[in-house]
Amino acid sequence: MSENIQSSEKKKFTLSPPVTALLLALLLFLASGFLPNGFNSLDTAINQAFNIIRLSSFLALIAAGQTLVIISGGEGIDLSAGAIVTIAVLVTYKFINGDNSMVLPVLFLVIACGAAVGLINGLGIAYLKIPPFVMTLGMAGVVTGALLVVTRGLYDGKVAPIMTNVIARDLVWGIPGMLFLWIIFGVLMTILLERTRYGKQLFAIGVNRLTARLSGVRVDLVVVATYSIAGALAAFSGFILVGWTQNAGLLVGNQYLFPSIAAVAIGGTLLSGGKGSYFGTMAGAIVIQLITSLLTTMQLPEAIQQMVYGLILIALLIAYGREKGIRL
Amino acid sequence: MRQTTRLPSMDFKFDLREWWRNFNRKNTYVLSLVIFIVTTVAYLMLQPNAFEEGVLSRLLTSNFRTWLPVILLAIGQTFVMLSGGLDLASGSMVSLFNVIMAISITSNEEPWFNLVIVLGVVGLGLIGGFFNGFLTAYMGLQPMITTFATSFVYSGLALLILPDPWGKIPREYSSVYRITTWFGIPLSLFIIAFILIIWAVIKNRRYGHFLFAVGGKVDAAYYTGIRVTRIKISTYMISGFFSSLAAISYTLLTGSGSATSGAEMTLTSITAAILGGTSMAGGSGSLIGSVFGAIILGTIKNLISLSKMDSWYRLLVNATVIIMALASPGIINLFRRKK
Amino acid sequence: MKSISLNAQFITKKFGGVVALRDGSLDVNSGEVLALVGANGSGKSTLAKIITGVITRDSGEIIFNSEPVVFNNPLAAHIAGVTAVYQELSLVPSMTVAENIWLAHEPLTKIGQVDNRTMVSETRKLLKLFEGTYQSTLRPNAMVDTLPPDEKQIVEILKAISRNPDVLILDEATASLDSRQVECLFSLIKEWKDQNMALIFVSHRMDEIFRIADRAVVLRNGNSVGEVKIAESSETEIVSLMVGHESGLGRAERATLNIADEIALELNDVKTDVLAGVNFSVKKGELVGIGGLRGQGQTDLLHTLFGNKRFDGQITLFGEISTANHPRDAMKKGIALVPGDRATQGLLLIRSIFENLHLPNWQAYGFPLKQKKAESDANRISKTLNMVMASLEAPVTSLSGGNAQKVVIGKWLLRDPKLLLLDDPTKGVDVGTKAEFYNLLDRLCETGTTTLFYSSDEQELIDICPRVLVMQDGFIKADLSGDSLTKANLVSTSMGAGLNATNNKAAVHGF
Repeated sequence: MSENIQSSEKKKFTLSPPVTALLLALLLFLASGFLPNGFNSLDTAINQAFNIIRLSSFLALIAAGQTLVIISGGEGIDLSAGAIVTIAVLVTYKFINGDNSMVLPVLFLVIACGAAVGLINGLGIAYLKIPPFVMTLGMAGVVTGALLVVTRGLYDGKVAPIMTNVIARDLVWGIPGMLFLWIIFGVLMTILLERTRYGKQLFAIGVNRLTARLSGVRVDLVVVATYSIAGALAAFSGFILVGWTQNAGLLVGNQYLFPSIAAVAIGGTLLSGGKGSYFGTMAGAIVIQLITSLLTTMQLPEAIQQMVYGLILIALLIAYGREKGIRL
Repeated sequence: MRQTTRLPSMDFKFDLREWWRNFNRKNTYVLSLVIFIVTTVAYLMLQPNAFEEGVLSRLLTSNFRTWLPVILLAIGQTFVMLSGGLDLASGSMVSLFNVIMAISITSNEEPWFNLVIVLGVVGLGLIGGFFNGFLTAYMGLQPMITTFATSFVYSGLALLILPDPWGKIPREYSSVYRITTWFGIPLSLFIIAFILIIWAVIKNRRYGHFLFAVGGKVDAAYYTGIRVTRIKISTYMISGFFSSLAAISYTLLTGSGSATSGAEMTLTSITAAILGGTSMAGGSGSLIGSVFGAIILGTIKNLISLSKMDSWYRLLVNATVIIMALASPGIINLFRRKK
Repeated sequence: MKSISLNAQFITKKFGGVVALRDGSLDVNSGEVLALVGANGSGKSTLAKIITGVITRDSGEIIFNSEPVVFNNPLAAHIAGVTAVYQELSLVPSMTVAENIWLAHEPLTKIGQVDNRTMVSETRKLLKLFEGTYQSTLRPNAMVDTLPPDEKQIVEILKAISRNPDVLILDEATASLDSRQVECLFSLIKEWKDQNMALIFVSHRMDEIFRIADRAVVLRNGNSVGEVKIAESSETEIVSLMVGHESGLGRAERATLNIADEIALELNDVKTDVLAGVNFSVKKGELVGIGGLRGQGQTDLLHTLFGNKRFDGQITLFGEISTANHPRDAMKKGIALVPGDRATQGLLLIRSIFENLHLPNWQAYGFPLKQKKAESDANRISKTLNMVMASLEAPVTSLSGGNAQKVVIGKWLLRDPKLLLLDDPTKGVDVGTKAEFYNLLDRLCETGTTTLFYSSDEQELIDICPRVLVMQDGFIKADLSGDSLTKANLVSTSMGAGLNATNNKAAVHGF
């Protein structure tokens, strides 16, 4: 917030943030076409586009729960999402063990676990007034710690064939199943946010919890529900992720954690809560994926990749990530 | 507020209730002090010969020289949090400064050169802090995601400078840091005490009041004529300064450099500050609480090692204990509310 | 205080696309009180904020002692000797009264430390200025967030005065004060005038303006449309300048009521941390006012009835004992609360009018939400209330104060409440909207809605309500109606018995 109030009243882009993110993504994509490894025909371009979207879809999935908790306000954030993804991946991997009939039961189990972790987060945040940052950070440690106790660093298992067929391979018209999942999921999330009582109440508590309460919203319940749903969604993402990679690892989820927050922010959701959309997060995930892919393609050393990633993020935030100045 | 008496305001009446309320508000570190005492006593009890000659001093020295980097980061973080911000880049700055010193300070034959490097690192801390503060306070970007982004820049730079861990800090320098004690009390503890004394002075100057005002209600501070942006930027510069100090102590402690040295320190320092009673929303908190918080985290780690627990259980227990510690003020409040 | 003159000329200011000021002009000199008058949205607050450096102007000049000046931030204005009193805007809740008053200009010891002793003793001296008008909660070391709104306002005033300003701007500073405190403030203003201070008094309250101001500048739609000398003018003239045409003051008539025999609401010995044992009953269809000085438990009573506070004792609603401990429970029984501070309690500021209107009501629209039905209901209520807005999708911040208040009321009317609780609903609302509001109340009464109406404006209570409960110290001190409902009785029962002689100033001045 700068001293001069004027700056907060400068003309903002009239485009909504998700659209801006998409345009940016388009620009980056086209720019990538000019690189040595870039595409040289429409076919290759389309393939690459699908590839990017597919890669970004996992990030978008993991960022779904993050979107919800950030909209809920109260400095909401879910730093346990990465750990929940990891545990979901490992549980799925181990208990399905290549058996198709185990898919549904394990899916329910995994979602229940994620929801349980989220529930603990929500209870601590809503009733014990622990800041979301530290509560979810602490739970990330608990979940990872539990993981170590159970696996002792070893894990084995296998993904079920049906998962591979649906998620990893092409489903229809040469389009991978993952893309369908991405679209359906996006539509469902948007319905949740815009066309349910829960969604309306979620935005309300993100803006002003006192007004919400005085309008009949049970704020604490909504908060607890949000973190629980976020945990469940993170677990679901892990399930899908292992279906794609057909592989597990102990640090799988962590690499998605902070990018998930960045995706939400780039997508136009206010980090202070009360405003945002899931479409924005999906667009933000594409942008981040493009940046990551570009950096990898350019074969820059990891160190430079990190720096460029950070600088681009800063540039994006400056472009349209500003929080409001002093209200008049 | 219901008042049972309706006296005109009396000049010198001392209200015990009000004093107790204010005491709790102004001394947010009380709970962390209690936890600190509990964990420290437990730790000492597990030492077979804690009160024999020299043992206490040895314990103090070995522990505090290891804890000092995180304590310094927690202190810097407290300044930022008091004014309502957050600095997620502090640990990555430590990594950066650590590798810079590791590749530059390799012999003790040019002490002046080494000194210049150290001063340069401190200067870089201030510059990096200014950059963070500029982005958040002046440009109005959200602190958490912004400092997260800058942390990539700093840690990437560190990786660029020193891809693989290396370092040959002269033994003499390391020893001074690791071993020096006066009256049995290690150098690191003196440094902490010194900083706390300076804080006690600053807290009661206008700057201290400005910090609490900006964190307490930024609009109110602005309307009162406080230069909010400058205050916020100053806190990030202070955090950068403490990052550089933490890097110096870490470099001396380990005698070498690594691009990931500070990676975990950031989140640990934030947890320490919150444990110590500093509020994430700003406007309340204390440096001593953050110091206690960092010591508590270190002591818990020690207790877990001492307990000879199966190593696979350690992370779980550590995290659970931390959550319980964080939950304690909330649980206490729940009981108070029920009454 | 030195002699100064402050002159604002042709100030313009736009926010986004909305023009707040087209031609804001005023001038004020030492030793006089200038009233800055205008309806909500007229730009008077914007002009005041530009003069005090909180906002920067787009164009125009401010001439201070014949030199053009630019105040880019509040500090610059302070340095020039221009200070403002806002409505609680500049207090840090987590700091004490003394710390707040002296913030940014604390007395220092020789080595630059804040001199706490002097700070506290100087604060005591300042508090003496308002002696006798506040309770013992107001002490130098009290945390500001423990104070009731009127005492917070006193701290705001003292904070401004502690800087010894040459120009003091009071922006709706009396809105939170009760009559004793306003009395006290006015006699202080007279003293400050004699000491050569220049004062700008921004207010809605006609009676106060006529008591305290020497001249008045009227703003309408962002333009300065007139300047009058108070002694030579009348309320009618000023109102017509504000509104743009001749109009009577339109004191509303008392609503024709439709009172049944059934008891709608009964309280038996209700206690909370603020209420001390409240007993009364209200029949279905009654319109009952709640009066008394500020902070005596009126807001608390309404919030308790709405399920927002824990209580001991018994509340009976339409024959059933109430166990509400969350607003949701109260809402299910048909109770609605229009809260006292719409910005922080009644509205979701960054969301649309549409979302604000439906916030309590989404349950009625099924899953997935029936958007069309919700829109038509929202349109219906906005027509009923005569809301002036760009569209339902516009953010609620684009509305003027009066229309924003209509949104707060509208969201409850959509539920057809049986018991309507109003917490000072016309505070900060312009004359035109007030009239519409009274008409609305009339219509509600005709349909048999039971209403409790707390107002800090005694005249309004007398004009609108056939029955007024006067509260003091968490009790109902008096139940006035019919012949006993006079302004004199209202005021005297508000003051209550048991005060010492110095507090009879208000009785002496009368109203």
